[in-house]
Amino acid sequence: MGVDLSKLSESVVKGQIDEARQLTEAAVEEGVSVEDIMNQGLVVGMETVGQKWKNDEMFMPEVIRSAKAMSNAMDSIRSELEKTASGMGTMVIGTVAGDLHDIGKDLAAMMFEGAGYKVVNLGIDQPNDAFVEAVKEHKPKLLGISALLTTTMPRMGEIINGLKEAGIRDEVAVIIGGAPVTDDFAKEIGADIYAPNARAGVERAEEYFKAG
Amino acid sequence: MKMNYSVNQSPQFRVLTDDQIEEIYYTALDVLEEVGAFVYHEEALELFKKHSDAVVTSDDRVRIPISMVEQALHTYPRKITLRGRNGERTTRLQKDTVSFGTGSDLPFCYDRETGERRATTYEDVKLAGRIVDYLPNYDFFMSHGIVRDAPNPQTYDRHQFLAMLEQCTKPMVLTSVDGEGLEDLWRMACVLTGGPDEFRLNPMFVAYIEPISPLKNDRTAIEKLLFAAEKGIPAMYTPCPSAGATAPASMAGMLVQSLAETLLAVVLCHLKKPGMPLIMGGVTTILDMKKSTYSYGAPELSLASAANTDIAKWLGLLMFSTGGCTDAKVLDEQAGAEMMTNLFYANLSGANLVHDVGYIDSGTNASLESLVLNDEMIGMSRQFCKGIRVDEENLALDLIEKQGPGGEYVTTDHTFQHWKEWFLPTLQDRSDYETWVSNGSKSMNDRTLERTQEIIDNHRPEGIPKHQMKAIKKIVEDADHRHS
Repeated sequence: MGVDLSKLSESVVKGQIDEARQLTEAAVEEGVSVEDIMNQGLVVGMETVGQKWKNDEMFMPEVIRSAKAMSNAMDSIRSELEKTASGMGTMVIGTVAGDLHDIGKDLAAMMFEGAGYKVVNLGIDQPNDAFVEAVKEHKPKLLGISALLTTTMPRMGEIINGLKEAGIRDEVAVIIGGAPVTDDFAKEIGADIYAPNARAGVERAEEYFKAG
Repeated sequence: MKMNYSVNQSPQFRVLTDDQIEEIYYTALDVLEEVGAFVYHEEALELFKKHSDAVVTSDDRVRIPISMVEQALHTYPRKITLRGRNGERTTRLQKDTVSFGTGSDLPFCYDRETGERRATTYEDVKLAGRIVDYLPNYDFFMSHGIVRDAPNPQTYDRHQFLAMLEQCTKPMVLTSVDGEGLEDLWRMACVLTGGPDEFRLNPMFVAYIEPISPLKNDRTAIEKLLFAAEKGIPAMYTPCPSAGATAPASMAGMLVQSLAETLLAVVLCHLKKPGMPLIMGGVTTILDMKKSTYSYGAPELSLASAANTDIAKWLGLLMFSTGGCTDAKVLDEQAGAEMMTNLFYANLSGANLVHDVGYIDSGTNASLESLVLNDEMIGMSRQFCKGIRVDEENLALDLIEKQGPGGEYVTTDHTFQHWKEWFLPTLQDRSDYETWVSNGSKSMNDRTLERTQEIIDNHRPEGIPKHQMKAIKKIVEDADHRHS
């Protein structure tokens, strides 16, 4: 028994992309279960990162490096994970029609990837239907909708209505974010989770799922 | 190959051209020859009478020929290296190298428990020392408060130095009661530096001395100046003219008079012993005509101080300047605006010792929170003063090509390397509204208060070896004994 899973956590915290992957592969070879690799290694690491970020002890470029280390390590066990259903699940994310702003949504995507989600990034300027269709196709646990403009914000409500019309509203949790978005607006349009920033998204989603 | 390519290593700033400086200098020479200054000190008068071509009249007025000024000016060191009591914490004073520090001798402060305005004490000076010792943007320490609970006001300076030494390892600028006081301070410092010879090479403090504007030099000031010259103690002779009251209301006129006051010291120290580390100074500001107060927050202070620094550089002298201070009675918006303005311009001007950082209430009130707030603001200003690197790595063409239109930079190695060059705030809040609310909706003032308490609670400066402490305390006790 050679692989120390706390080393794996540490490599995630330190953002050591290659090392995290090598340690993961070595653990698989030694017969460690993917559940243990996730829960005692990678996830522990990202939880530490999340905490440090919250306490201003880590900074975004470092957090992103850690997230990269996590998702890159996960790629090597992804097929196995899907069999055991011990991954965090899938998230579909995109920016609404008429809005060409990438970065907030991409940051959120990276954070969710880092937290262990399989992320389907639809991109920017996506028509309402594209969100609904993607939910049908990928059956995600979480749908992330981003808008940076007051003029494009209303699309978020429309997408939620689209989910209702398609009869799949209850199958997915909707998380929204973007500069003009507020908690009140989220409630008004019937979104489940509001993320005021990239750092809060994962945490709020986890709280939501825990509360069931 | 690139030709005729020049680089701004830092932003460029000056108030006066060489031509304007020359004009001010020539006029100051006229003042010394035609008007002269009062010098109330016998030895100094003797030096002027017997060992120079100066003209001394029966009213103790000294007029100095230009040739003497010009001879003396060439004898001053253009660099002084200050060390803290542990031999580290080096502050290099040389042209356009800026260091920041507190001011000294503020008579009042707000009590941290009751909020009441009260006299400053030994403990207050210790706490200021602890904070200055901790905060990275302070390079030297002046006492901030004045020790008013000393057994005798005539020896407060020794107690004050002791309080400063207890909690701060950085180089210092010291005020003293008189020549005897300065001698005691110097002896105390010699205990720590390893004797007078070592002190001369590695001075741990600069003596703060000031003439009385307009054009008067009192006995104690000259006493200190001559003692400093004799022992090679760095000293600044720093006029504090208030335009419109003790100097002309015009900035140029105030600078002329202030320079004449400085040049008298330049000549006198040269006569005593050539080559002492003399530093030019000046708190050049205005008298507020509505409230009749000496202003520490006026934009004229920033302007005249920066111009004064231009003059000092042109003369080849080091400069003691002013910044980070305010007329506001509390740390409010006025305080922020004034402190940021005068410290920013002092930094840009390239002055060597920028003092009075943290003064509130026009140089009468001490505030530990103000010291903490100013540290952040100095950091912001220093970030600006770093300027911009323009080279292949920083132009980043390869990166822009690689990421392309619609790409992102958050995940690139280039960002990972370069974001660390940015200023990292500790007090400024840049969080989104929700986060700010969930953290208690704190104002800058709230955060500054908390940070100040954190530093007081947690920072413990390196101590002084027992045998040295004993020797220093003996000097203080002896002084008290002599003056009891």
